[in-house]
Amino acid sequence: MSSATLFTDDPRDVPDGPALLQRLSDIQPVKLLVIGFAIFILLALIAYPLALLIGYSVVDAQGNLTFDTFEKAFNRRGMWAATVNSTALVALVTAGACALGIPLAWIVARTDAPGKMLVTLAAGISFVIPSFISVVSWIFLAAPNSGYLNKLAVEYLGFTHAPFNIMSFGGLVFIEIIGVYPLVFFAVSAALHNVDASNEQAARVLGAGRLRTTLTITLPLVRPAILSAIILVMLDALSSFGAPAAIGTMANFSVITTKIYDLLKFPPQFNYAAAVAMPIMVFTAVSLLIQKYAVRAENFRTLTGKATSDQITTLGRWRWAAGGFCIVVVFATAVLPIGALLLLSVLSSFGADITLSNLVTKHYALIFDADFVARGSIINSLLLALATATVCAGLGLVLGWVVERVQFFGREAITFLVMIAYGFPSIAYAVGILMGYVNLFYGTLTLILIAYAGKLLPIAFVLVRNGIQQLSTDLEEAARISGAGWLRSVRDVTFPLVRGAVGIAWVLVFSLSLRELSMSAILSQADTQVMPTVVIQFIEDGAIELAAALSVVIVTVSLSILGLIRFFSRKKTAVVS
Amino acid sequence: MNFYSPATGIVPDAPVATDQLPRLELRDLRKRLGDTAAVNGIDLQVAPGESVVLLGPSGCGKTTTLRMVAGFLQPEGGEIHLDGVLASNASFALPPEKRHLGMVFQTYAVWPHKTVADNVGYGLVVAGKKRAEIDREVAAVLDLVQLGDLAKRYPSELSGGQQQRVALARALATKPTLLLLDEPLSNLDASLRQEMRFELRALQKRIGITTLYVTHDQDEALVLADRVVVMNKGRIEQVGTPEEVYRTPASRFVGNFVGTANLLEGTIVNIDVAAGRVSVALDAGDIVSARASAGWLTTAAPGQRATLLLRPEDIRFDRPEKPDQQTGLDVRFVSAAFLGSRYELQLAAKDTPLRVQSRTAGTFKDGRALLWFRADSAWVVA
Repeated sequence: MSSATLFTDDPRDVPDGPALLQRLSDIQPVKLLVIGFAIFILLALIAYPLALLIGYSVVDAQGNLTFDTFEKAFNRRGMWAATVNSTALVALVTAGACALGIPLAWIVARTDAPGKMLVTLAAGISFVIPSFISVVSWIFLAAPNSGYLNKLAVEYLGFTHAPFNIMSFGGLVFIEIIGVYPLVFFAVSAALHNVDASNEQAARVLGAGRLRTTLTITLPLVRPAILSAIILVMLDALSSFGAPAAIGTMANFSVITTKIYDLLKFPPQFNYAAAVAMPIMVFTAVSLLIQKYAVRAENFRTLTGKATSDQITTLGRWRWAAGGFCIVVVFATAVLPIGALLLLSVLSSFGADITLSNLVTKHYALIFDADFVARGSIINSLLLALATATVCAGLGLVLGWVVERVQFFGREAITFLVMIAYGFPSIAYAVGILMGYVNLFYGTLTLILIAYAGKLLPIAFVLVRNGIQQLSTDLEEAARISGAGWLRSVRDVTFPLVRGAVGIAWVLVFSLSLRELSMSAILSQADTQVMPTVVIQFIEDGAIELAAALSVVIVTVSLSILGLIRFFSRKKTAVVS
Repeated sequence: MNFYSPATGIVPDAPVATDQLPRLELRDLRKRLGDTAAVNGIDLQVAPGESVVLLGPSGCGKTTTLRMVAGFLQPEGGEIHLDGVLASNASFALPPEKRHLGMVFQTYAVWPHKTVADNVGYGLVVAGKKRAEIDREVAAVLDLVQLGDLAKRYPSELSGGQQQRVALARALATKPTLLLLDEPLSNLDASLRQEMRFELRALQKRIGITTLYVTHDQDEALVLADRVVVMNKGRIEQVGTPEEVYRTPASRFVGNFVGTANLLEGTIVNIDVAAGRVSVALDAGDIVSARASAGWLTTAAPGQRATLLLRPEDIRFDRPEKPDQQTGLDVRFVSAAFLGSRYELQLAAKDTPLRVQSRTAGTFKDGRALLWFRADSAWVVA
């Protein structure tokens, strides 16, 4: 029945047995086995590739410790330009995302501007659409000559030159901002919602006006949220690969991530790739440390409660200006890109006039054609997503339980390892996976699965762990006291109660697997293409309509799967004090 | 009434015949949590049918002790015996599921995904009982806690008090040899808490189950206990009946923690070992004859300092027929409040503050009055 029943001798028979025997009887083999296996997988997925990556970058071919690799890697042609580009990208995207996200969050959370609900919806949509798909949309809208917004501007608005050029560094910055501003928006608006009204009321009672209260009380209270979001945005921009790859190829510039990708093309130069990935890793590590110690140290306030009507600022005549801003954002970040994607996917060819007779389904027919590369990639993607979601949810459950419930020295280490994988730039992680497992799994889906699982595990881990955290340990202990062994108490009590969290983790990981590009680009071979790599291939080949059709497939599957979250959240879940 | 087998027996009010094995025995139990010795050498025996309450402030080690008995924590020193059989020591711990205990948690820990009946029947299912038997026993124990008609409900549909009863029923369903309760009433509101105290006490007496109860609430301890174990800083300060702990506290700590204590300092003038009494000249004036423990009396000598404990309700304005005092204690009025059933007075005897509960507001002349102690109520704390 339970592990304990199987392996523990009843000590009532041997009350004075030797201490060693008694100690052995206390160990629960099933528990140890499960935990040990989970930790082994964790080490194989995260610690091993990370160690290899660092090792390759500081050890030369003879096995000596050296920094020559860095020197040689960064002296390669174009490397400094790429580094400068990456730095500029991070700075501009971060500034832009804050400039867009913070005012929007304030408008939505604290003003009476119209169209607030639409902004939240649009931010959600922007967040779900990966940047390489945005690129497809924006090529349709704002390609230098044939983009339809440009045509519109030249033909009807009297512009002499096409005003937009998405195939430029500026275009890349724009697409990245649209992709990441939701991080700032959601973090800040959640924090604003959570600032207890009494904090602000106390300031008002003491004589501070609305503006003064906002500046001296409200903003400082949400500063930790803003800082956390900025760090996430910086990491996202630094490690972004999809849009830089698609646009950089056309506009002829590079960033660090695309350089890493180039270094892994035949013949792959692992040492250099690892060395080039190192600055990203160091930056990531430093940022996460700053977040852990600086931001969290400041985040001591317990923020509770809901925004009350008292906290809503009436904007007066600025109300419609704010509303207009909201509508522009909704259009630019959600309506236009989604509309463009759908339209492009059924347009006979890019550049053709938008008339009913030019709308066709041939791109979809080709996508699903059995002899064409796209169909295989759809199947591969779905298989991978299924496997990744299942592995991550299962592993997340075991690790979450271990970290929350077992007292041992390795708990912190597990959390640390998992969170490293979270902050780890995908592209660098993929290099590590390639070095670690290429001999075993070259050209197989397993290789990609390992990468997906390691990179997405943190999401499952955090969700499931939070679920377990909310369960009082008393619930499991009550089962033990009732006579259930460890395994049975987990099965009968813990698992049913975290089922909702595990389900949501599964769905999220599934959806994120479908859109993963940077690791897939490095790891997939001819037979193991996935949807995102095929989309990029289409963009590079100029088959932009096919790229749009396949993107529609990705977005549709992602969104429908995400709809399952509602099903899991509806389930009876535990409310425990 | 018939819920428990007769073997468990009806409980004698007095502690227990010595030929019976104690249901629970703690020998020099020790446990460190972090840097502090949470439990620092505890010896205790709980007899069959007895209700023992561990009472103390938070951090005194009472919950740690309970969790070691349950098997969730392993002691670092000492031994725990259940029915005379070793359950835990530093190198061995019987897992909780093998101890055949019942436990009621502070948070109730009623499983939200199971119905009331499934919660209560869980232990029986784990034990491999037949369905019909489980249904019968679940119904019986639900009746016992007056939840018979809520068997099919989910916990989220129940009130806090009802969830508490479910937790109790679940703990009783497997007919444990020992019932552990970890501050079970602390999440209930005040009036329900008072009601549940008496109900728990009645239930415990009726089914005669041995219980170990943890609380920081002295009123709860006095109602529920056959014996109270007052704990402080990981050690036992005193074990005794509720009356003993309240009237003859072994230390200042016990006196202060159980009830309100007025402490009056003085110097010993006379000792009567045979009568168990001592006369003390209070610093605040007056000479008082007080009772003292035999142990203390053997070490006492005239001229030594002593501290007297007096409960607020034992102090009067009327002179009794045979006072234990010479002149009455001269006090100054500070403040007074009317609390319905009594007056609560803050007075001062020289510099010593004094709290008095009195049915009358008292009469003060120029803000002063003489106080008299109820006969035999003054007690020497070490």
